[in-house]
Amino acid sequence: MSIVTENLTKTFNGLVAVNGVSLKVTKGTIFGLLGPNGAGKSTFLRMICTVLRPTSGHGSIEGFDIVNDTNEVRKTIGVVQEKLLLYPTLTAIENLEFFGRLYGIRGKPLREKAEALIEEVKLTSVKDRPVGTYSTGMRQRINLVRALIHDPKVIILDEPTNGLDPQSVRWVRDYVKRLKERNLTVLVTTHDMHEAEELMDELAIMDRGGVLAVGRTADLKRSQDVATIEDLFLKLTGRELRDEVSSRLKRRGW
Amino acid sequence: MANNIFYDIYIIMKKDLTEFMRIRARLVTMILLPIILIVLFGYMFPSTGSITHISIAVVNQDQSQAGLNIVSQFISSAQSSGLFNVISMGSLSSAQNQLVSGNVYAIIIFHQGLGQQLRSSGTATVQVIIDQANPSLDAAIQGELTQIFSSLRLSATLASASSSQVTPIYQGLIPQTSNTIEFLAPGLIAMTTILAGLSGLAMTFSREKELGTLDGLLMTPISRLSIILGKGFAQVVRGLASGVLVFILAMILFGVHIYGSIWLMALVLTLGILAFTGMGIIATSFVSDQESAQLIMMMIQFPMIFLSGALYPVIQLPSWLRIISDILPLTYVISAFRSVMLLNAPFSAISGDVYILLIFTLVVFAIALPLFQRTVTK
Repeated sequence: MSIVTENLTKTFNGLVAVNGVSLKVTKGTIFGLLGPNGAGKSTFLRMICTVLRPTSGHGSIEGFDIVNDTNEVRKTIGVVQEKLLLYPTLTAIENLEFFGRLYGIRGKPLREKAEALIEEVKLTSVKDRPVGTYSTGMRQRINLVRALIHDPKVIILDEPTNGLDPQSVRWVRDYVKRLKERNLTVLVTTHDMHEAEELMDELAIMDRGGVLAVGRTADLKRSQDVATIEDLFLKLTGRELRDEVSSRLKRRGW
Repeated sequence: MANNIFYDIYIIMKKDLTEFMRIRARLVTMILLPIILIVLFGYMFPSTGSITHISIAVVNQDQSQAGLNIVSQFISSAQSSGLFNVISMGSLSSAQNQLVSGNVYAIIIFHQGLGQQLRSSGTATVQVIIDQANPSLDAAIQGELTQIFSSLRLSATLASASSSQVTPIYQGLIPQTSNTIEFLAPGLIAMTTILAGLSGLAMTFSREKELGTLDGLLMTPISRLSIILGKGFAQVVRGLASGVLVFILAMILFGVHIYGSIWLMALVLTLGILAFTGMGIIATSFVSDQESAQLIMMMIQFPMIFLSGALYPVIQLPSWLRIISDILPLTYVISAFRSVMLLNAPFSAISGDVYILLIFTLVVFAIALPLFQRTVTK
């Protein structure tokens, strides 16, 4: 297994954001984490990315404990968040080299790796321009390969196509498939059910901090007698609008 | 139907004010800043009665009975004026040390043979060395001393029938030609350097929080300490660069000189910037956006500008504000920086200020590091 969590829980001043989440993600698969706003997805991701410390429970990535082996976990994962992890005043090459250095890569190998990744996303002609001058789609492409600069085994994508035009969305989805072909494990969250349908081998549906269902996509649809992931999602989470938990956390400044 | 322009203006204004009022830090700043400004400006331009108990040193080199009587009469008049707190010093060098350290603001030297000269010619001079840091304070000191000397009843003291007159001759702290800007320059350089560092750090942290790149840094295998210190030292470099720039301008435009060690000056500034870096981390731990961070920094900076002695001596402040001044790190930075730059003070003369800054920096970082850790991993 690539990612394993057991009863992973996070509370903020008594407010339970993630409640006993147990998941197993198979190596080399695309695993989807779906849930309405406030379901606890982002908090769960921040815990396994070692930014947040779990209140209780355990988790590991490629065998490294997310609390005790934080540095190893950080070297193992590449993260693409909803917000771009790029410095707008730095050029594409400077951004990639900066992050590469933080992972201990230096000199010629770093330059070659950065240039290869920029070439992969077809941005070589603008590699020396500040990324703040790029279009949203161009920035997201650089943001994606920034997460690969240190050759991680696990890629974590938090709503990677949010706010992109259809062409960029298509490109990102195809790129995610290519990551799987390279035998990388991909954990992805999305609100786009078509994206989930197209990409995900396995998925978990979260709500109110807990996991409602987990398994292979086809098996889950069959067991719930639904045709699409969207139907599955709505059947399990309901149609009522609720963002109460995330809104309360934001009000408390978390 | 289209709105009229006044309604459009109103709804935009209302939205902006609503946004402003929703963020507590901005609201508190809006209320406190004007209060702080009026109090501090009030003491920057003091009324005559607001300056009291200025410490001055008296060095009496005339041990004749007449000399002792004159000095005694002077001390008595000076003390009763309410403006001065007179300290008798045994030697000129120890008095000069006190002046350099900022413990006294003027030295009055009664030279040997003063009594004799008064008896023979009826006139004599006393030398007054003053700290020229602030024109208004200098004027107050000179005006009061001139008045005190002119009102001394010397004929009775000297048992002489003819009238006698002692005239004070004023000179500056530095023997070379000096002017007010030369005394203000060290304070201004230290202040602009350090405050630029402070606001720079607050901005960089809050900007990274807003952009989301701070999370990106936290997901890499570098320690939190590296992030803080890396950012802190970036501010040190930035601060020193701006200090050099301000100094070059002061040198070209106003003829300011450095009389002391550049390395000691750099050491003092570096310690100051690091202390303020820690303060910046603490302050920005409580806010998540750049605008609130800026306002908080302004709240810290404004009082320091006026209370640190950069623009005028802290003696002008009332005692309760002097207590605040004593706990501000910028006060020690400016005191030490000024002593080195203008008076060629060696390390031993500023070691007290340096140790206080060092302790302050360590304490601030001991608070800032866990606070930063808690803020980013809560």
